Amino acid sequence: MAEACQIIRKQDLPPPGGYRPIPFKRIPAKSYFSGFTWIAGYIGVTAISSYLYYLNYKQIVKNKIEMRSAKMAIYPMLLAERDREYMKQLRRNRDAEAELMRDVPGWEVGTYYGERVYKLLPPDALVEPIFHEYYAHTEPSAWDKKVDLRLWS
Amino acid sequence: MSISPFLRSPFTDFTGGMVSHQLLGACQKQEIRYMDCLEAYGLDRGRVKCEHLFHDFHECQTKTLQYKRFAAMRKERERQIAEGKLTGDKKYVTPRIDSY
Repeated sequence: MAEACQIIRKQDLPPPGGYRPIPFKRIPAKSYFSGFTWIAGYIGVTAISSYLYYLNYKQIVKNKIEMRSAKMAIYPMLLAERDREYMKQLRRNRDAEAELMRDVPGWEVGTYYGERVYKLLPPDALVEPIFHEYYAHTEPSAWDKKVDLRLWS
Repeated sequence: MSISPFLRSPFTDFTGGMVSHQLLGACQKQEIRYMDCLEAYGLDRGRVKCEHLFHDFHECQTKTLQYKRFAAMRKERERQIAEGKLTGDKKYVTPRIDSY
């Protein structure tokens, strides 16, 4: 019975000559330098670059000193200029106030309807104005520019 | 008006003068005059006797009169502009930037 039905089946057999050998050994990455060479290279590059950094740093310090000296030199002049402008503006404010409140009954320049601001000071003593008084006669755009910085700091 | 604690001790004196104008504050002169007067007369009599000093100190501290001046001038200026008396360049007197 088994010989009567001998059908040739297709079987999955190894190729003729057998399989080739399977490579299983490790293939490590290619190393260009050894470990010590890397460290020595690192130290060498750091040494050269720190020398160059030092040269540049000396120049930076010179620049900083010069800038600081220049600022210190012109600072008093800038302060003086600002004070001069402040004084001039006080005079302009006073004139503007006199002109504005000319027809208001009971108003005297520098007082609040005749009542002096500091009663124990002599009448011609300088009373430094507050921010609002200094900017009392300004247009709103100039006011807006300054008010936040001035009143919140 | 300064009120001292009910029972004074070194512990209350420790933090008593923490916030004042005496370290180069704006109202140093007015404050010290008022406090000297209060120290001399005490609080009860000092309320009556040091009133002029108190008004100056209060004005320096709160700047009420200076602000009222500003408000009155501003109101007057707005009124005059609305009325038409102030026009064009004469409307405002603006300070230069960074001068205050």
